[in-house]
Parts: sequence; structure tokens; C-alpha cells
Amino acid sequence: MTDLSLSSAGASSLPAYRFSVGETIKHVVLILGALIVLLPFYVMLSYSFKSPAEIMQNTGGFFGLQEAFRDDYCVKLGKDVADCMVTPVIYNYTTAFQKAPLLRYLLNGAIVTASIFFIQVLVALPCAYALAKLRFWGREAVFGLVLFCLLIPVHAIALPLYIMLAKLGLTNTYAALVIPWTISVFGIFLMRQFFMTVPDDLIDAARMDGMSEFSIIWNVMLPTAVPALLAFAIFSVVAHWNDYFWPRIVITGDRDLFTPPLGLREFKGDADGDNFGPMMATATIIVAPLIVAFLIAQKRFIEGITLSGMK
Amino acid sequence: MTRGSAHWWFVGPALFLMIVILLMPIGIAGVLSFTNYSLGNAGADWVGLDNYEKIFTRSTYEKMFGATFRYVFVVVPLSVGLGLGAALLINSTKRFGDLYKTIYFLPVMAALIAMAIVWEFALHPTVGIVNSTLERGCGSVLETWSWYAHGCERGFPLWLTDRDYAIWTVAFIGIWQGFGFNMVLYLAGLTSVPRELYHAAEMDGARTAWDRFRLVTWPMLGPTTVFVVTISVIRSFQVFDTVEAFYPQGGGPSKSVYVMMFAIYEKAIQQNLMGIGAAITVVFLAFVMFLTLIQRWLIERRVHYT
Repeated sequence: MTDLSLSSAGASSLPAYRFSVGETIKHVVLILGALIVLLPFYVMLSYSFKSPAEIMQNTGGFFGLQEAFRDDYCVKLGKDVADCMVTPVIYNYTTAFQKAPLLRYLLNGAIVTASIFFIQVLVALPCAYALAKLRFWGREAVFGLVLFCLLIPVHAIALPLYIMLAKLGLTNTYAALVIPWTISVFGIFLMRQFFMTVPDDLIDAARMDGMSEFSIIWNVMLPTAVPALLAFAIFSVVAHWNDYFWPRIVITGDRDLFTPPLGLREFKGDADGDNFGPMMATATIIVAPLIVAFLIAQKRFIEGITLSGMK
Repeated sequence: MTRGSAHWWFVGPALFLMIVILLMPIGIAGVLSFTNYSLGNAGADWVGLDNYEKIFTRSTYEKMFGATFRYVFVVVPLSVGLGLGAALLINSTKRFGDLYKTIYFLPVMAALIAMAIVWEFALHPTVGIVNSTLERGCGSVLETWSWYAHGCERGFPLWLTDRDYAIWTVAFIGIWQGFGFNMVLYLAGLTSVPRELYHAAEMDGARTAWDRFRLVTWPMLGPTTVFVVTISVIRSFQVFDTVEAFYPQGGGPSKSVYVMMFAIYEKAIQQNLMGIGAAITVVFLAFVMFLTLIQRWLIERRVHYT
């Protein structure tokens, strides 16, 4: 046993040494690329740990020295200087939450992305089922319309959508953040393709059992579609959690409705020299949920994000 | 077997939303583009083709098209090329492939607005990490490169605020953000290339790696490439987050980064000039739809031939 594993290890490492030039060049290129890709992540994390002085002078390594520094704002409030000494990392992250209602922003982000996904499924699933499994007059026309609508990027028609919502008095509401995304033609298309592969026998059997078409969708089709639905969920949540353009247009000034990207943007707007640390902390907090989820379930995420490749 | 009108209950909501949310706005944009409408006014005047005439004659919009096309023509080839290059390299290395894949995909997941703010900071002329790293290289062999020597003497570029560098810097961030997505699509495409084809090509005398790539890999990746290029074009046409984060007013030094989405935002939302905004929207939609139709045509033609 040991002999075998030893010799196989030797065999696999030997060619690696022999062809090391080509292999090494490849790794050098890939590592160089990785460094450039990681640079802003490094800057973001590192600065969220450091004191203003360390940021300005570019000292302290990755974590900073974590020496307590004087919080001038606190001194200005008339408190004792000794009480105003703060550790950089704690200062940065607490300021991120105190200076702006960051928790509220995160909650808004969660509410908006969840509502969008929920409504998208509610609308798309029955339509996809009808297009895939029911025969009715006008089906081809509806499907043709779906294919046409796939051509329209919603961001591109933001202006007329904004006018419509403004006319209805809906700007600066949750509704404005959600409504334009309630229809996902891509979701319909995807689910339809998926339902096409579900055998008709399954549906006929359900009908024999006396199930209504409605309960067939939610009790028979939905469970079979879970993998596709999961991928679509990732696709949808990533797009809308990170979306900046649309919230920027329909939410003007009302902080209670800000999504995380808007909150960060506002933070940047009134940041001065001392606030870079807290700003980077805010950025880290906003980016972290998706990055952590991605690192945990990489395969699923890559599947979900590249779903659009199935078109 | 149809049972009553169940299907219309299923299709109805989607159909209604498609018409109201996706089709009606196109019509509205089309009509408004011939008027001088602004929000809050009771009516609007019919101005005919005035808005379009402005778009195609005024220098502001000339800059808009210039910036947009410069951005698209840099970001698309480079992010597709780097995506393909990364995929081929990762596919051919024996170890750590998954690690590189994970790292390169990170920017796709991160909110672009957040990363734009970080990049702005990294590219800051005095405290930014990029220029301070470049300065450390001064006095070394790198100075034989005249650009580098010039930077050491007179200071490295201001990147985002220099008229000559701004659009390229923004494009660089676009490439940084997007190539990992293309890489993943190419990696998926590579797994579907049959091994036997490489053996067959070798039999036919394809000895070098370049021959194998030219004769087998590249043609087999054709459909992937068509898709990757189209989606990259559409995405880069829509660039907004970085531009708005760096230049909330005016679209950069001498309007050199005044891309179309930002122009729509500035004209229509900030200045309430809906007519002009609608006209830009129509032109924009025409571009994007035209490109997608070309893509579909290319893919269908391929399907018919093979």
C-alpha cells in the first residue's frame, strides 16, 4: 500500500518538475492576475481595520497596529480626552452603524430582494407551466412575446418607467423599488424550458387524482423545479442586492428607504479625511453577505450566475 | 385537454406585466422623444425631430457616443480575451485551478458601487496604494521604460481625474469586474469539447498547442463566444455605477466619461429634460436590440449549418 502511494506520488510530482517551466509560467501569470483582482478587496478590508493616520501614511501592514487614537468628534462634544481614546477597528465598525442607519439599509435590501424574488416566481411559474404544458389558443403568440421581451434590458427603459411611477405618485416607496422587476421574462423562459422536460404522465396522473390545475403547479411542478428555482434565486438576489442604478433613480432623499448601495453612496458623499475607515467598514459590511454565501456554496452560485448562458 | 380557462389565469398576470412594464415604456419613450416634456408640466410641445437632431449634432452628445463606444470597444475585447485566457490557463494547470476560479469570480459577486469607491481610494494620487506602489519601483530597471521614468520624475498619473487617463481607468475597472464572468462561461464551454477531437487533430498533424487551439478549441467555443461577446456588449453599454460614483457631476474631466446611461440619468432625472432623455433611451434601445438580434441570427445560422 505505502509503496504504491509513494510511487504514484513520485510519478505525479516527477513530470511536474520536468515540465516546470511551462507550468511555472502559467502559475506566475495566474497569481499576478489574482493579485490584481484581490487588490481592492485587500484595500477595503485593510482600511476598515486601520486608524485615519495609518490610512493616510500607508503604514501598519494589513491589520494596522490597533493603537488607540483620539476621536476628535468625541472631544468636540466636550468629553474627557481619556474617554475618547478608541481602537481603530472598533471605532470604524461602530461608526459605520452609528453615522448612518446601516441596519435599516440592510433590512431594506433584504425586504426588496426577497419581495422581488417572491413575486417573480409567483408570476413566472404559472405562466411557464401554461406555456410548457397546456394547449390553448394564443400560446405561440405569448411565447413569442416572451422571446421579444428578452431583448429589453430593464435598465434601458428606466426613464419611462420612472415617469409612469412618478405619475402614479409611487416614487420614494418600496413599491417603486420592486414593481419594475416583478416580471422576469428570463424566469418565465427558464422555467418553461425546465417544465418541458417534466413527463406529461406525471401531470396526467395528478389530474386523474382530481387535482386542480392550480394545485398541480404548486404541489407537482414546483417541487420538481427546485434546482432551477434555486439557481434563479441566486441570479435574482445577486442582481438586486447589488443594483445601484434603479434605487438611485426612484429613491430621492428618503433615507428610510435606502438600499445598501445607496447608503454607501451617501456615506461617500459626505466623507472627509477621518471617515475613510468607517466608509470601508460600511463597504465591507455591504459586500460581505454575498461574498460569504458565495464562498460557502460556490458551485451553486456559479451555476446561478451563469444561468443566463443557457439562453 | 384544456379545462376551462385556467390557462388565462396563469398567463394573464405575466402578460399584463409584460405589456405594462416592458412594452408600454418603449412606446412612451418613443412618443416623448418627439416632445419637450418635463415632469410637473401639464402638457408638452411637439418638437418633431429636434431632440434627435441635437443628439446627432451637438458636441456634448458627440462626447457621449465617443465615451460609450470607447468604453465598449475596450472592455468587450479585453474582458472576453482575458476571460478566455484565464479559462484556458486554469483548464490546463494541474493544481489550484478551483482557487483561481474562485478568486477571479469574486468581483462579479461584489456590489460594483462599493468596489468603485474602493478603487477610487486605491487610485488616489497621493494616499492611494497604486501610485505609492509604483513610486517604490523608481530607481529600479523599470525606469528604462520611458513612461515609468516620466512618472518617477513628475509624479504618476492622476488616473481618474486626468482627461487622458479617465476613460481607460474606468474601462479597466469594468474589465476587472467582468472578465471572471466570461471566464466561467468559457470554462463551461471547454468541458463540452470532446477529447477525441484533440486526438483526431493530433493524428492530422496538429502538434503545437497553438494548432490544437486554432483547429479544435476555438471553433468548438464558437457559440460560447457569440454569447459571451453579446452579453459583454450589453453590459458595458449599460455602465453607470462606476461613472456616477467617480463623477456625480458632469461625466468626468472634459466629459470624457459621459456614457449613455449617465447621460439619460443626468438629462432626464437631474435636469428634468424628459424629451432628450427619451430620445437617448430610444437610440440606446435600438443599439442593444440590434446587437441581440445579430447574436440570435449568428447562433441560428450555426445551428442550421452543423
